[in-house]
Amino acid sequence: MSRNRTQAMLFVALLCLDLHARVGSAPICPHGHTGCHILSLADLFDRVIQHSARMHGLSSDLHSEFEQYFLPSKNHISRVYRKCHTSNILTPNGKENAQKLAREELTEVIMKLLMAWRDPLSQLHQSMAHQQDFNSFSSNKALEMSDMVHELRKGVEKVTEKMQLLGMISNSVSGLSSPEALLPASESGEALSDYELLYCFRRDSDKVQNYLKILKCRIVPEHGC
Amino acid sequence: MERKETLSLLCVLVCVWTQATYTQGSTKVPEDFTPEPIVLPHFTSCRSREQETFRCWWSTGSLANLSEPGALAVFFHQNNLMPIGWQECPDYTATVENECYFNKSFTHIWTSYCVQLRATSQNITYDEYCFTVENIVHPDPPVGLNWTLLNVSRSGINFDILVRWAPPPSADVQTGWMSLKYEVHYRVRNASHWDKLEQESGSQQSIYGLQTDKEYEVRIRCKMSAFDNFGDFSESVFVQVAPIPTKVSVFPMALLLVFGVVGMLFLLVLIIFSQQQRLMVILLPPVPAPKIKGIDPELLKKGKMDQLNSLLSSQHMYNHDTYREDPWVEFIQLDLDDACEKNENSDTQRLLGLTRPGLKGDDDSGRASCYDPDFLPDTEGLLAAHSEMEERHPLVSESSPSTPSPELAETPFFPVQSQPVSQSWINMDFYAQVSDVTPAGAVVLSPGQQNDTPSKNPVDKTKKEEEEAGKEEEHEKKMKLQLLVVDPDRGYSHEVIARQVESSGAPFCSAPEIAYHTLPPEPAEEPHGWHGEYLAPDGEAQMAYFLPEAPPASMLPPVSDYTVVQEVDDQRSLLLNPSARQSPACPPNPIKHLPSMPAVPVGYLTPELLENLSP
Repeated sequence: MSRNRTQAMLFVALLCLDLHARVGSAPICPHGHTGCHILSLADLFDRVIQHSARMHGLSSDLHSEFEQYFLPSKNHISRVYRKCHTSNILTPNGKENAQKLAREELTEVIMKLLMAWRDPLSQLHQSMAHQQDFNSFSSNKALEMSDMVHELRKGVEKVTEKMQLLGMISNSVSGLSSPEALLPASESGEALSDYELLYCFRRDSDKVQNYLKILKCRIVPEHGC
Repeated sequence: MERKETLSLLCVLVCVWTQATYTQGSTKVPEDFTPEPIVLPHFTSCRSREQETFRCWWSTGSLANLSEPGALAVFFHQNNLMPIGWQECPDYTATVENECYFNKSFTHIWTSYCVQLRATSQNITYDEYCFTVENIVHPDPPVGLNWTLLNVSRSGINFDILVRWAPPPSADVQTGWMSLKYEVHYRVRNASHWDKLEQESGSQQSIYGLQTDKEYEVRIRCKMSAFDNFGDFSESVFVQVAPIPTKVSVFPMALLLVFGVVGMLFLLVLIIFSQQQRLMVILLPPVPAPKIKGIDPELLKKGKMDQLNSLLSSQHMYNHDTYREDPWVEFIQLDLDDACEKNENSDTQRLLGLTRPGLKGDDDSGRASCYDPDFLPDTEGLLAAHSEMEERHPLVSESSPSTPSPELAETPFFPVQSQPVSQSWINMDFYAQVSDVTPAGAVVLSPGQQNDTPSKNPVDKTKKEEEEAGKEEEHEKKMKLQLLVVDPDRGYSHEVIARQVESSGAPFCSAPEIAYHTLPPEPAEEPHGWHGEYLAPDGEAQMAYFLPEAPPASMLPPVSDYTVVQEVDDQRSLLLNPSARQSPACPPNPIKHLPSMPAVPVGYLTPELLENLSP
């Protein structure tokens, strides 16, 4: 009797899970396969924005932890680290500038930024893991950050495809397939330290988050804008 | 102790005095000390409200000459790809003093700025401050804070509210430019501690667990997500919910409680008073009286002696007096069980025949009595001398064919007493069966029950005598008169038996027991007749059937109390001085014929005589 009961319960659970899966977390069907639930663009944007928010939070935490260790002066940040390796990427510096940008360009900027940080973040994680100054939490955060950048890049690619699919943006978005490896180096050619990297990445993650939000509210303004 | 206290007090006083003097000294001599440190002009803060513009404020410091407007200038520099250089503040706010406003065109997010405070006339930089705009964003407080009542608890004590607000209008949340996080604070009015509730996003928040009798104050503030700069608080909103008049429900409850308690008390008092006795017993149990285990105290009060005796004897703690007086009883051994069983006569005989103490001179009879000494109520003068006898009457033993010898129970036999017949009769034990009444008036008592076989009746007397040593004191009656409790096993000293012995030789081969009670009123009758009667020519056979008819009147002469012991048989049986008659000899028992003895005073057997008698 107990067997039958457990089996029935399992069956019901599977049904429920299946139903929930159908409603909530169905996989994205790239080619519009019949039978799989297609996520809406708004949902995609929401996921991506959540990802970017999480990434930015991580970068902020790591940066504040670094500040505790190194205790830079009040004006230290702006004087010493004026140039990040992503500084040569033209990014809108304000809301109006961002809004003035076309969707494709905005998307392209986002992608460029995310591409630029793939390698440096892994380097950062490795260097942090080797150093004794950081506890395991910091190195884990760095690792998570690098993974998240990777995930976010993929997500933004999907969003871009979706948008192109829906005809919201043109297909002229370039720079996605062939990323240019930007070496994180300052103008003088020196490699940036961990703290500099973190400072730069924190800024760039904030940029990405904001750009994504702007993009989302421009394209699918009905939810949460 | 006192010294220590005084010392500490002194120290404290000295310290206080020195401090006072020091402070006084410090204040009293202003010339020696700088009045106050010079405060240079500096930036107090730079803030952005919506991440689109920002402002910077500074203070002029303590220098008097710099407090004039225009004495200070703010220059800024932004680190972007186009290094322009230091620029002066684009807009000095007219309405607010010492404020520099950077409008949207000058505000670049994710760009590090540096502002400097310089004196206009001199080339002095008083202060410099570098930042990035997104790090100095302090959002405006949310607007439209209000609350609605969610519910009130059943008891009416607690309630829940839902607080709503709107994001600050300056923050561009619609375009997603700013994502805000809100923080709700609430407290009891005029309390010192604020409770915080953090909200990720959204524009409403529920507050649970507020109390109706208190007034609450609620306020809210916000910040940019992933940043740490909170904006200012909004205006407080006061929340108060009038307590639902629950007195109605509380009042009956209180009344009910009071009534219930009163009722319970009343009931308790009633119970106590009605069951006072029981309660007393329960609470203060009576001390139990001493109790003998197993014995009912009531029986002790009302019971009869028999019951008591049986009870107490069973308790092994109470010994009948007879036990005390007859210690030899302990050593009594039963020779043969049959003897006890078959000798009903012995019962009566024992009852009838009682021996005196010391007659045998041997306390250790070696034979247990079949009968309880308790049966002998009157123990004075009664001794079961038989019990002391270890030997059986030789005559009896040899006359085995008749066999009752083993049956002979040991009974205390009645010693020959010099007492008058009546007395001796009085001394007799409980009961004996009257078998016949002689014409002379003597009552012939038979020893046993009615169903006694005649074979058993006779010849108890034919038992052996006691031992010679103990015998002396024994008074043998010439005439068997009193109890004839003869136990062949024990032996006896009875003149009758003696007579029988001597007369018949061994007339007592068979050893039935007989208790013969004769109550010959006449004293000193001729024993012969009796003996003669008793001793049938055919000793053995006659013995067996020696029945009550055996003793005719003539046969029952009063037996005198004393009889001279003429001889002691080789089997240690006493041969009393009798008549000269000679009983038909029992072959197994050759009897010596006693030489005629000189007349001896009746009654007493002297040792010399005994010696003479001894073979």
